[in-house]
Amino acid sequence: MEQEGKGEVSSGIYTYNHHCDNGFDIHEIFVKRSRFRVLLSYIGMVFLLASVSRPFLSEDKLSPGSSVWSITFGILVAKCLQYKPVKKESVVIMPTFGVQLEIHFWSGRVHRRFVPLGKVLKPLLNECVTPVTCYWSLSLLLCDEEELMLVFQKSRPPVKMLVPVWKALGKFLNSECQTCSAVSEPGSQT
Amino acid sequence: MDGDGKRHRILMVSDFFFPNFGGVESHIYYLSQCLLKLGHKVVVMTHAYGSRSGVRYVTGGLKVYYVPWKPFLMQNTLPTLFLTFPIVRTILIREKISVVHGHQAFSTLCHEALMHARTMGKENTVLRSGISPQKVFMVPNAVDTAMFTPSPERLSCDEIVIVVISRLVYRKGADLLVEVIPEVCRLFPKVRFIVGGDGPKRVRLEEMREKFSLQDRVEMLGAVPHAQVRSVLISGHIFLNSSLTEAFCIAILEAASCGLLTVSTRVGGVPEVLPDDMIVLAQPAPEDMVRAVKKAIDMLPGIDPQMKKLYSWDDVAKRTEIVYDRAMQSSKTDLLERLPRYLTCGAWAGKLFCLVMIINYLLWCLLEYLQPTEGIEEVPDIRLVYAHLESVNDMCRIQSEGN
Repeated sequence: MEQEGKGEVSSGIYTYNHHCDNGFDIHEIFVKRSRFRVLLSYIGMVFLLASVSRPFLSEDKLSPGSSVWSITFGILVAKCLQYKPVKKESVVIMPTFGVQLEIHFWSGRVHRRFVPLGKVLKPLLNECVTPVTCYWSLSLLLCDEEELMLVFQKSRPPVKMLVPVWKALGKFLNSECQTCSAVSEPGSQT
Repeated sequence: MDGDGKRHRILMVSDFFFPNFGGVESHIYYLSQCLLKLGHKVVVMTHAYGSRSGVRYVTGGLKVYYVPWKPFLMQNTLPTLFLTFPIVRTILIREKISVVHGHQAFSTLCHEALMHARTMGKENTVLRSGISPQKVFMVPNAVDTAMFTPSPERLSCDEIVIVVISRLVYRKGADLLVEVIPEVCRLFPKVRFIVGGDGPKRVRLEEMREKFSLQDRVEMLGAVPHAQVRSVLISGHIFLNSSLTEAFCIAILEAASCGLLTVSTRVGGVPEVLPDDMIVLAQPAPEDMVRAVKKAIDMLPGIDPQMKKLYSWDDVAKRTEIVYDRAMQSSKTDLLERLPRYLTCGAWAGKLFCLVMIINYLLWCLLEYLQPTEGIEEVPDIRLVYAHLESVNDMCRIQSEGN
């Protein structure tokens, strides 16, 4: 793991960055695009185009059934090889409001989810076990929800990058809790 | 933690663990708890039970990995041979395991994990063919001495009660029981039986009762929950075990711990469990068993139930720790040295073993390339921190005052 610049940590394909902006605490995880996957997705598109255009361009007439099958197969292959790379995932902590989770794609699309302060109970570092591996993930325990909400949905950053985000979320929730109780106490005395 | 011993990081592997309840499961649990008390780190790996999957922490900070592989037969996972290698390797690296302890010869997960651990150079403590005799250690099983204590008052000897508690299946000799019970009832009018347990052979026992009109002399309890086993045992003088095969038999240990005299079939590891004055052995044939029961009834007046002190779990944990220490000291052998030893196993088996181990080694190299060891993060040692609980209480107090 190398330190790059102030507050930036890089490991493998992930780079972690933390900065403050207008009072908002922003934690970002940048993901390197995999050139191999991009190449594969182009191959998938080419394969789909070829399978679609084959019935029209071929000299001897193919039966409609087989052309439908080849087009369907082409769509399936293209879908499997499809690659929607994530550029970065960020966590924006907004004091007194809540937490905003954003996913920025290389295509320019941005997916945002906002979780209000009152809904978050605790941030958790969870160990996930799959049939082939075991990894750490950061999630939020929400009020009245059965499932945990994953903070980083598309990427699996190493736990060393998850810990500062987890601590920041914990500190944020604690401080908001204490300000709420400090505000309500004078009111209860009257 | 003892001063001279090293701290081991142990992985217990088995297909059988809680919430399944039985001898192996309790053995792993009690042994792990005692090893934790001695200061070692213990992690258990088993397959997922229903929706119970992932990482759980049980009493004492014992970490359990419920790996989501589906069990296919009587809680055994499908023998996948190599597919469990990635997850086993991940767990071994992230927990920095030094010793792998496999349980239960019938557990496929256990055998695979041991094979993978051997490939990766970890020590393991299970009997494998082809190892030298110095590396074989016998560690006895133990009994929960707090739970299985004798009855405070001695039972009267007017009526002799023989207790049988086992699963009523072929392997546990339920067919033998069907032959032995009527004969004993005929020869000894003072004897009464209590039969606890359930299973496919229960029907045969019920038929036997009907046929010989033994309803008032043979009491069938049905399945007995573990917590009530002791109360059933202390109501009897003699414990009868008719298993046809048995590796160890914790049931007779529990019975002996409760002060009962045991009559058992001489199979498997049973002769090594108890000293000779507490057990009467017989061949698994009805005539010999009836003879053994007669001998036990004659021995009964001379027995003092309070006298014996049997192995406790702390003793077993200490003995296991010694085995781990010895295993760590033995020299590590790499693949090329081990292959000739496997060849000696048998004409075909040896060559098959070698092939399997070579493929396993190649698979390990492939995994090292796909998922390098540096990429797998090591889990920090999480000890139970009681100081943390105070701050949680403060937080709760603040929140409740705020409402």
